[in-house]
Amino acid sequence: MSQTLHPTRRRSLRLAALVITGVAVSGISLPSASADGYQRISGEGSSWAANAIDAMRVNVRQFGITVDYNPSGSSAGRKNYLNGTVDFAASDIPFQFNPQDGSAPENPAPGSYAYMPVTAGGTAFMYNLIINGKRVTNLRLSGENVSKIFTGVITQWNDPAIQADNPGLVMPARTVVPVVRSDGSGSTAQFTLWMIDRFPAIWNAYCKVSGRAPACGDTSFYPTVPGMISQSGDLGIAGYVSQGFAEGAIGYVNYSYALGSQFPVAKVLNAGGYYTEPTPQNVAVSLLQAQINTDSSNPQKYLTQNLTGVYTDTDPRSYQLSSYSYMILPTVVAGQFNLDKGKTLGAFSYYAMCQAQQDSASLGYSPMPLNLVQAGFEQIRKIPGVVVQDIDITTCKNPAFGPDGTNLLAQNAPQPLACDKQGIATQCPNGTAGLANVPTAVSGGGGATGGGATGGGAATGGGAATGGGATGGGATGGGATGGGAATGGGATGGGATGGGATGGTATTIAGGAATGGGAATGDTTGQICDADTGICGGGGASAGGATAGGASAGGGASVGAVLPTTLTQSSGWTASLTLVLLVIALVLALILAPAIAWRYFSNKSTA
Amino acid sequence: MDVTMIPEAIDADAPAPTPRKLVATDGRSDRIFHKGASFSGVLVMAIMVAVGMFLAIEAAQALRVTGLSFLTTSEWQPDRNKFGIAAVLLGTVLIALVAGVIALPIAIATALFITEVAPVWLKASLVALVDLMAAVPSVVYGLWGLFLLQGNIVGLSRWINGWFGWIPFFHVARADPNSPLSSASVYTASTFIAGVVVAMMVMPIQCVVMREVFSQVPGGEREGAFALGSTRWGMIRVVALPFGRGGIIGGTMLGLGRALGETIAVLLIISPRFDINFHILEAGSNSVSSLIALRYSESSGFGLSALMAAGLALFALTLVVNFTASWFVARSRSGASSEA
Repeated sequence: MSQTLHPTRRRSLRLAALVITGVAVSGISLPSASADGYQRISGEGSSWAANAIDAMRVNVRQFGITVDYNPSGSSAGRKNYLNGTVDFAASDIPFQFNPQDGSAPENPAPGSYAYMPVTAGGTAFMYNLIINGKRVTNLRLSGENVSKIFTGVITQWNDPAIQADNPGLVMPARTVVPVVRSDGSGSTAQFTLWMIDRFPAIWNAYCKVSGRAPACGDTSFYPTVPGMISQSGDLGIAGYVSQGFAEGAIGYVNYSYALGSQFPVAKVLNAGGYYTEPTPQNVAVSLLQAQINTDSSNPQKYLTQNLTGVYTDTDPRSYQLSSYSYMILPTVVAGQFNLDKGKTLGAFSYYAMCQAQQDSASLGYSPMPLNLVQAGFEQIRKIPGVVVQDIDITTCKNPAFGPDGTNLLAQNAPQPLACDKQGIATQCPNGTAGLANVPTAVSGGGGATGGGATGGGAATGGGAATGGGATGGGATGGGATGGGAATGGGATGGGATGGGATGGTATTIAGGAATGGGAATGDTTGQICDADTGICGGGGASAGGATAGGASAGGGASVGAVLPTTLTQSSGWTASLTLVLLVIALVLALILAPAIAWRYFSNKSTA
Repeated sequence: MDVTMIPEAIDADAPAPTPRKLVATDGRSDRIFHKGASFSGVLVMAIMVAVGMFLAIEAAQALRVTGLSFLTTSEWQPDRNKFGIAAVLLGTVLIALVAGVIALPIAIATALFITEVAPVWLKASLVALVDLMAAVPSVVYGLWGLFLLQGNIVGLSRWINGWFGWIPFFHVARADPNSPLSSASVYTASTFIAGVVVAMMVMPIQCVVMREVFSQVPGGEREGAFALGSTRWGMIRVVALPFGRGGIIGGTMLGLGRALGETIAVLLIISPRFDINFHILEAGSNSVSSLIALRYSESSGFGLSALMAAGLALFALTLVVNFTASWFVARSRSGASSEA
């Protein structure tokens, strides 16, 4: 009986559901693309540069320009550009006429395209590492260790080689999980190119292990071995690394993705002996050494980059894995690309080369230097249908343009801190990338140096005096007068006397392996250290105290101030809470509505 | 009437009597319907054959190079002529099996609950909910699996590995379930997690088929069971389940067919690997459709042909599964009218 009544009712309910969804979908209206005669254009390619390109395409909407961009990877971008399914491509590497990894060569028609460098940035190593319940934000890695991590040679975070890079941290015995790209990627190509140039032996050995030999050249497709995770797109890697379960993971992404995920990146050792981070300034410095092909008669190579100079740059600020990313522009009308689209693409490209560059630093990219912007303008002229603009270069407000044509950004790039130098007994506590404001406590690096004599405090110019951990004995931390903090040296199995700091708030941090007794024996008023969080309550003006662990940690006032705060916790009413409630209400309505309707109609029909 | 009863005189000269031709003069609407229906039927067949032929033609270039080693090679490097579907197809089947194992009990229980147990006023809502589940796009399931499920299910993976790791299926390389410092990463991006997500997608499909079958259980038998003093569960066990066996098997297979072809959700979750891997909890898996989705846009010429060959293999596998399903359904009592 009820069965016979059902079908029509069910259908009408379904119809209602459809209507509701239809209304909801149509509520998101698409902006019209033809405001100024601009036709909608589409591009595809680099996910490395996608954050920059995305910002550009959002900003050009105000001019009535609609650009669709699909960050499916440089390989897919070039391929679909060759197939004529997109109007332009974005790629971190040029067309592969002679690929070194055994893949099929790409053969664009000669003279049908032009390269335009559109943004610059660093391929960063974003990681998820926790020591003693605290996220590490100041990891340092030498290039060799990076290569060994991504070739499966180093499998534990407490590998002596990594420990040597990080004297201020006690590396945990956790498995290293390299996260690589599963799709064809320009950043993979740049990364492998760098490895082949710098550490050919490591790469070639890996190439054999992973079954790629003998085609061991640079490749867009990262060869994997069991134990690695491969994910699609920069977003895939950043998404994986930033999850809670991915502790121990490290992946290569553009710097902007680490900023966006609020995650740190590893500082990589450069040829100048400093561990650096791919900040926009550092990238600008590094790319001064990039050799740009200036032979405009050869469009196959014109404006392409040779980065070997960047890899070996001895400027202490340089970052080895800096590179340019390109837009590939069509120079002939073919397939779905017509003059109208050329006009749109031209306007978009002008915006990308000029105004857009002033935002790139805030996104984590480095603005283009003057010579490349000018060369880019010349390339834009080759787009069929372009409305040529005579742009006064000063109106671009590009932060890289110096008055005399020099790269202002590179010139003004700050020198690295002394604690970022290779070979000293400690390392900077300062955070990196997305967690720049969250320092990590560091220790003075073992008993041999002892005391506050490591010079770390003086070198950084901050107020941190670092106490060394002397085994079996009490070490006295040096007090920095007027400075931020003094840290008592941790002694294994015994308490240590904290040095008194005058005039500042002193905070002591428990770090390391927590082998010590950890009794606070300083001249404090009953200071208590929390073994889990490693935070000791700071005393008054003369607070000292012992740390709970053998390898103690000291930091400046800023460390003390920031350390107790974990990642910002959302409290109170947030948008996501509203959304969750909305969804719950919708689902409830979905469950209740048919029931109520059924009741209503069945009552009616019986009445 | 008996023929001999007809008087002799009348048909003396007349030809021997022949039965009147029965001509059913179809109305126009009947004819249109008949033509339309048979046209649709033929069209569906033609499309299937055309798809198969297209795949075969496109795949020929790659298959000519590899020959039978296509079935036994596990690597995927088409540009270097080292490619095959051994690993990929195995991953596909494993994901589908995991999905089937998880989805089947839920689907049967939901279908039984809706048809036999749920109060009348709840039925419509439940049916709508299950339909809604089937209507959620697979990318949504994929994102859900990637960002919500994966982080929460690694604990279960670790537990299974810890207690049942001695079963080869549940072995995980490089895992130490007893060490707090061991990385949870070894349990992520696995066949198991992909299977759980796919299970959420195939469950509603299976449930719809089963619900349809259970709702056709003859009322007489049902009432008879009750009349003989059966409990509700007894009735389900003795009447509903045996009657619906064909539908259960058919629905399961239909869901399996869907699971074999699931693409984007799997692509989002797994970390592609190209070796024979039976360990369903271990990081890394693969499936034919996700491989095609991943590599399609960056392959050209020969690489594309290799992907087509993989697609052909999946096509054949899906056909086999679906035909088996319809065979089972057709043989069963309830089969004549079920959807599969």
